[in-house]
Amino acid sequence: MAVYKRAYRRYDGPLTGRWTRFMVLPRYAWRRLYQQRLVLLLTMAAFVWPLLCAGFVYLTNHVELLQGLDPEFRAFIQVNGRFFSIFMYVQGACAVFLAALAGPGLVAPDLANNALPLYFSRPLTRWSYALARLTVIVGMLSVVTWVPGLLLFGLQVGLAGGWWFLANWTLGVAVVAGFLLWLLVLGLVAMASSAYVKWRVVAGAVSLAFFFILTGVSQMINGVFRVTWGYVLDPAWAVNRVWRALLGLDPLDGPGALSSIVALAVFVLLLVLVIERKLRPVEVVR
Amino acid sequence: MPTTPVVELENLKVKLGRREILHGITCRLGVSGTGKAVGLLGPNGAGKSTLILALLGFHRPSAGRARILGMDCRRSMGEARSRIGYMPENDSFVGEMTAVTFLRQMAELSGLPPKAALEKAHEVLFHVGLGESRYRELRTYSYGMKQMAKLAQAIVHGPELVVLDEPTNGLDPAARRRMLKLVADMKEEQGMNVIVCSHLLRDIEQVCDEAVIMKDGAIVHQCNLEEERRSNRSFVELEVTGDDRNLLTALPEIGAEGVAEGGGRWRIVLPPGVEVEAIWGLAARQNLLVRKLTHRRDTLEEIFLKAMGHLAHTPGEDSPVDAGRT
Repeated sequence: MAVYKRAYRRYDGPLTGRWTRFMVLPRYAWRRLYQQRLVLLLTMAAFVWPLLCAGFVYLTNHVELLQGLDPEFRAFIQVNGRFFSIFMYVQGACAVFLAALAGPGLVAPDLANNALPLYFSRPLTRWSYALARLTVIVGMLSVVTWVPGLLLFGLQVGLAGGWWFLANWTLGVAVVAGFLLWLLVLGLVAMASSAYVKWRVVAGAVSLAFFFILTGVSQMINGVFRVTWGYVLDPAWAVNRVWRALLGLDPLDGPGALSSIVALAVFVLLLVLVIERKLRPVEVVR
Repeated sequence: MPTTPVVELENLKVKLGRREILHGITCRLGVSGTGKAVGLLGPNGAGKSTLILALLGFHRPSAGRARILGMDCRRSMGEARSRIGYMPENDSFVGEMTAVTFLRQMAELSGLPPKAALEKAHEVLFHVGLGESRYRELRTYSYGMKQMAKLAQAIVHGPELVVLDEPTNGLDPAARRRMLKLVADMKEEQGMNVIVCSHLLRDIEQVCDEAVIMKDGAIVHQCNLEEERRSNRSFVELEVTGDDRNLLTALPEIGAEGVAEGGGRWRIVLPPGVEVEAIWGLAARQNLLVRKLTHRRDTLEEIFLKAMGHLAHTPGEDSPVDAGRT
């Protein structure tokens, strides 16, 4: 029967489970995000570097194609921690821009249109709402970060053989864990800026500026006080430090990996508090 | 057979900051599954919206307990919310979504499978009169349409209880009539319990079976409008010129009773079956010149004014109602 001929009747069928309900917000948000051409274009552009890296992995595993090259150079181009660190820097930077572009659309429209009471009057807690929104950004950025990273790792294992996997399996773990840490920071920064600034463009600019300003502040502190601990105030530097430790590369000058992890944990906690204060169904005016 | 009240409050206190908004409310409202409507009445700032928000778990009670459909508002709020629909007072929507997508998302969040959610979204949009504009983005809707969309999202998942906060706010007369008809349909046709929060007496009188009057964060009166309607008493506001000293003793002749308010002004309660023409006849027999006569069957206004302390005594009552706070 045509829908306009049907009279409204209360739904009395079966209900979906908790996880299905949790994934409703991410599903709708992803659909909306990928309807934006700029997001789609930037996501596609973010695949260029992984494709080049895949070509590099292929070349390094086909010695016959590198016959004409200098032996020293051939020894230099290897799939190791340095290779994955370069891959991660580029994809990490792409993730920053994607987060700045897509992040503001997460919470800002709900706050601007006062939609939170509608969400929270349903079986959805504030925490599950925040987690669902974080899932949107982490899921979206995963497509251009740890997923291609893991595919590259898999490609290398496939081409180099099991011995390479046994010797370098920590690189795969480092790529996934390192990127997830970065995505958590990016997602929370994007959500916090989106929760406090209702205009999308401004919110995007705020989340970008956030990293640049903190980098500047940390450099300033290091310069003025002639110290290196100022780097812990720069989340990008701290994440980079953790990545290097995970990939087994030489450490940077400055605080150690543990200090960086603690600094990032404090940073994440502060962002969670900032978001928690804003995501309320009703605002009490004092 | 035991009955579960729609709302059960035990000494409920709610504080916003340091200020106590609800001062220990105790009451039982409605019976679950009966398809009745309860009206929350009160002037602005009486605590109606705070009470609703506390029932929805948006405000944590500072003391006491609130149960909704038999479930504790603190412990079982998740389960309770899947059985509740809420229409907030202010604009609430996701602007960049079409009405269908918005309603589908809301239905899925309440636990409907995607296919059923889509069907219900279409169904309910036709039901509230937005069928033709269901593919338009919500931000392009007029205020009246947004109100209807808010109502649609409140009922799309077929809740047992629908909480409506000022549903007719800002609506033109035709839209207001339509909204009230929809609310009446919800309880009569769909068997939903409804809580309507409003400061408009006529709206409450028209659709509710029970009314609760709030003032300064407390319930000052609770009445069964069905019984009031059944009594079918009608009220007359009369203003006469002449010697009206015998009018009070003459009123029982037609079975009526009333109170003099001075200056020739009277408030009279007519019993069922007695028409207003009887007043004209009585005035003529008493040689009184009628300057003004207003006749209405609106009992709620009398009750409301009494509860607010604007009227010393509700005409027709044998004894003043104890308006003490509960």
